[in-house]
Amino acid sequence: MSSATTASLSYEAREKAAKRAERARQKRIARDEAAERKRAAKSGFANVNNPRRSMLLTIVSAIFAVYCLFPFVYLIINATKTQADFTSTFGLGFGKTFALWDNIVTVFTYQDGIFGRWLLNTLLYVVAGAGGATLLAIMGGYALAKFRFPGRKLVFAVIIGAISVPGIALAVPQFLLFAKLNLTNTPWAMIVPSLISPFGLYLMWIFSEQAVPQELLEAARVDGASELRTFWQISLPLLAPGIVTTALFTIVATWNNYFLPLIMLKEDSWYPLTIGLNQWKDQASTAGGTAIQNLVITGSLITIIPLVIAFLCLQKYWQSGLAAGAVKE
Amino acid sequence: MRNTKKFIASAAAIATLIGLAACGNGGGLSATVDTDTANAKGEVVFWGWGNGIKETIAAFEKANPNITVKYSSTGTGADTATALQNAIAAGKGAPDVVMLEDATVPQFVVDGSVVDLSQFGADKLKDDFAAGPWAKMLQEGKPYALPIDSSPEVFFYNKAVFDKAGVDGEAIKTWDDYYEAAKKVRALGGDYYIANSIDYQPFLAQVWQAGSQPFKVNGENITIDMNDEGIQKYIALQQKLIDEDLINPKITNWTDDWYRSLGDGTTASLTIGAWMPTDLETGAAAGKGNWRVAQLPQWNEGDEASSEDGGSALAITSQSKNTAAAYKFAEFLTHGDGAKVMADHGTFPATTKLLEDKDFQSKKNEYFGGQQVNKVLVEAAERKVSAFQYLPYNPYAQSKYGDDVVPAFQGKKTLKDAIAAYAKTLADYGTDQGYTVTVK
Amino acid sequence: MSDQTIHAPAGTAHSPEVRVNKHKADWRGWKFMWPFAVVFVFVFIVPILYTIYISFFQKKMIGGTKFVGVANYVRLFHDPNFWSSVGRVAMFTVVQVPIMLFLAAAMALALDSMKLHGTRFFRISTFLPYAVPAVVSTMIWSFMYGAKYGLVASINDLFGTNFDVLVPSVLLASIGNIVTWEFTGYNMLIFYSSLSTIPHSLYEAASIDGASEWDIVRKIKLPELKGSLAITVIFSIIGSFQLFNEPSIMQDMVPGNAITTYYTPNMYAYNLSFTGSQSNYAAALAITMAVITMVIAYIVQLKSMKEQMK
Repeated sequence: MSSATTASLSYEAREKAAKRAERARQKRIARDEAAERKRAAKSGFANVNNPRRSMLLTIVSAIFAVYCLFPFVYLIINATKTQADFTSTFGLGFGKTFALWDNIVTVFTYQDGIFGRWLLNTLLYVVAGAGGATLLAIMGGYALAKFRFPGRKLVFAVIIGAISVPGIALAVPQFLLFAKLNLTNTPWAMIVPSLISPFGLYLMWIFSEQAVPQELLEAARVDGASELRTFWQISLPLLAPGIVTTALFTIVATWNNYFLPLIMLKEDSWYPLTIGLNQWKDQASTAGGTAIQNLVITGSLITIIPLVIAFLCLQKYWQSGLAAGAVKE
Repeated sequence: MRNTKKFIASAAAIATLIGLAACGNGGGLSATVDTDTANAKGEVVFWGWGNGIKETIAAFEKANPNITVKYSSTGTGADTATALQNAIAAGKGAPDVVMLEDATVPQFVVDGSVVDLSQFGADKLKDDFAAGPWAKMLQEGKPYALPIDSSPEVFFYNKAVFDKAGVDGEAIKTWDDYYEAAKKVRALGGDYYIANSIDYQPFLAQVWQAGSQPFKVNGENITIDMNDEGIQKYIALQQKLIDEDLINPKITNWTDDWYRSLGDGTTASLTIGAWMPTDLETGAAAGKGNWRVAQLPQWNEGDEASSEDGGSALAITSQSKNTAAAYKFAEFLTHGDGAKVMADHGTFPATTKLLEDKDFQSKKNEYFGGQQVNKVLVEAAERKVSAFQYLPYNPYAQSKYGDDVVPAFQGKKTLKDAIAAYAKTLADYGTDQGYTVTVK
Repeated sequence: MSDQTIHAPAGTAHSPEVRVNKHKADWRGWKFMWPFAVVFVFVFIVPILYTIYISFFQKKMIGGTKFVGVANYVRLFHDPNFWSSVGRVAMFTVVQVPIMLFLAAAMALALDSMKLHGTRFFRISTFLPYAVPAVVSTMIWSFMYGAKYGLVASINDLFGTNFDVLVPSVLLASIGNIVTWEFTGYNMLIFYSSLSTIPHSLYEAASIDGASEWDIVRKIKLPELKGSLAITVIFSIIGSFQLFNEPSIMQDMVPGNAITTYYTPNMYAYNLSFTGSQSNYAAALAITMAVITMVIAYIVQLKSMKEQMK
């Protein structure tokens, strides 16, 4: 570690050095790409520019895709059935009447249209919870990657230890703590626990390590920029692809969160979709209840759609994904 | 300096922790119970589930403009009880009025979470309610909840399947008749069975009907007797049904398979509570027109023994700060004009006034082939019930029934052994919880 | 700071000189770490400390709460229900995690090879199951498993067979299938993103050296996967030791109560805590499980993960 040399260099010299390194890198990439194109054309080796596709591999993957998608066929087919058909006709065949539109309308109008409220709640929780979780993970991961602060080595061990404690057993203490602070039955009860994404933290750690060059940070520091400003203006743009991946994980996790809201929320106007749908499902197993499995199925399908859209939107960034950010040497 | 911050942070965390620990022990009894219902006003927070509640609240608020009811649908009875338990542990957050399954009322009485309603004069309502549901509200002679519905155990059967099997459902008067019918239904072959394996609630209801009193609770003393005459009769019958493959061990109540088998008639009958019609109509719509309802078979011909299966009630929590208004609402929904609104939305009522209503009784139900279903159910509700108590740890008893007793329906052990083991499990738990338990 | 530097494309290899001042602690990292740390302490650490605290007490319906020392732990140690549930999830972990991670890695390699027709389609189809809430996916699969009305029934009708995937002997495998279905895509995405970090120049160099595609997979891609494997293994072990959603939703659907109240440690903790009012005992169970999980996770992978993160 030649910290002495680096420190003695002037700002201009360092900026020049950084620019020089950058130019050299650009050249290297151009060279790489040209060479690869040439080689790919010659040998037919698969790469982004010149993929040679394999039928066999596609078929094998297709089998796996069938496994992944088959249950969705069930979901879609059953969303077209009336309650009567749902309990009397074969699960993978259509019912006597095609009731998809009726079901969708009923889902949104049943119990004074509470499904819409649940949908909005879930969106709120995702924006605040998953958004916050992503931000916290970015900052934390960045800190772990770029600073050698006291306690750093303990962070991950503590996290792994903490999430090893069965979440079920923590639910009651968490409830008591939130109740003490008058946070149960408020959106905070849902948002605050969602803010922690250990996996997101790990991802951003690894990503920051690879995507943010130390030279840039040093340069900014010498320039007198505060750490926070350096983070916002320099590091964050570089982290974009990793952020998208992390966001995808946190969005899904928040969207599907079930157990904690079940304990924390006892006001149906604050329920997220998962709790609400489960309550609908339970109507079929309640004495004197009205079975509405057709609405549960249709509601589940509707619940998944926003996640699919999110994935499709995000995968554009994510496709170039980590590759854009990281060149390992 | 940062070390100081860290220190403060950890000190704060520890302080919170100690605070938590302190509140974890408190029961949270409210100091005063306001019984002045005539001047009740303000907001009542209400947790519950089921049909017709919103309409009932609207009617209540119209009749009592000074009181507003804030209702939250809290899911199943188990979910609601869990939520109440958590709120009690936290010392706050419980609603004013809570809907409870009848069988869980005792446990909340024991820990002082619900208040004695005789303070409001609820004890005087005794004669207005059917005997079965009312009996379940009492702890040491005092009512702690008001029953929403009565839920006498009755016998639903699929007439189309019975006809095919050559069984006359109306003629099944005793459990011996039932056994003969079971053989005939099974003779249809395939998956046709007279019933599926027995759930916890119907199990209790049926041993109750047999005159058994498995649990006797007297303060801190519990007697568990799963060996009395009634239970022995019950075991003998069920064991015979299991051994001769006359009940389907593969279908569990409330599952998709269950509803489907009720719809296509392969599960040809049900012994279950009087609240079942709504579940049947929506869950097993395919069986429309085929089902009928009759009185539960008797152990001795000519008897008229009944029992209760399920049912729910309203209680007022000891955390409530507005007990007068809370009682006013609970009374309205269960006993006052609200009970009629609830009944109109499918609740099988608990008040004798509604039960004896001519229009109510003569209503014909197309799902049951035009049968006057309510007439049969009312007759069941007005039959005599013997004394019966639930354990003050009913949810535990319910979950362990699955572990201990259900495997007997699969022939993995005898029902007698299973129930003996079950009695021991319940006794051990009671002892562990500080009760003095006697097993007979 | 010049604009040019701000917009510089990513990927400059970072210099090896991460400055470490040995004499004075560098606290700057906490400027970024503290929000995560504060929330984490609030949501996890405080409740865990509380859980540890209550695990030394016993609350009775009659007699209230009493300090009992390590009695709960001693009792847990002799509790056959607890150990049978631990054995079950251990077996589940040993079988299910390798299968799932193998599938995920294979799919990630296939996607990364760019040799598939319709890469985008396969990427989303593999990931999609993860987007389904556990409640819904278990419901769907339970239908498929139905030996009377489900898909298994139709298969039996068609081939005259008599499969029943809900009998106790294969039940765990049936649950494993649901979990595999749900989480393969999740793990695939992790592997896939780590493969994307390999620079193309490396492939080029390998190819010039005459390496076959298989060599490249073996010598470049698989070593790269090793790093993410460490973390996925740890998270998968934790996940399967905490198996709860799938068996508890299926509990009511499986005939004959094959899924007991103590089928998995987490289900046991749930039933102790929520139906048995034995929160103290459940707390002891949770702490014990955490220790067991950590020991196993550490033995299996934590070391290699530490190495990876320097």
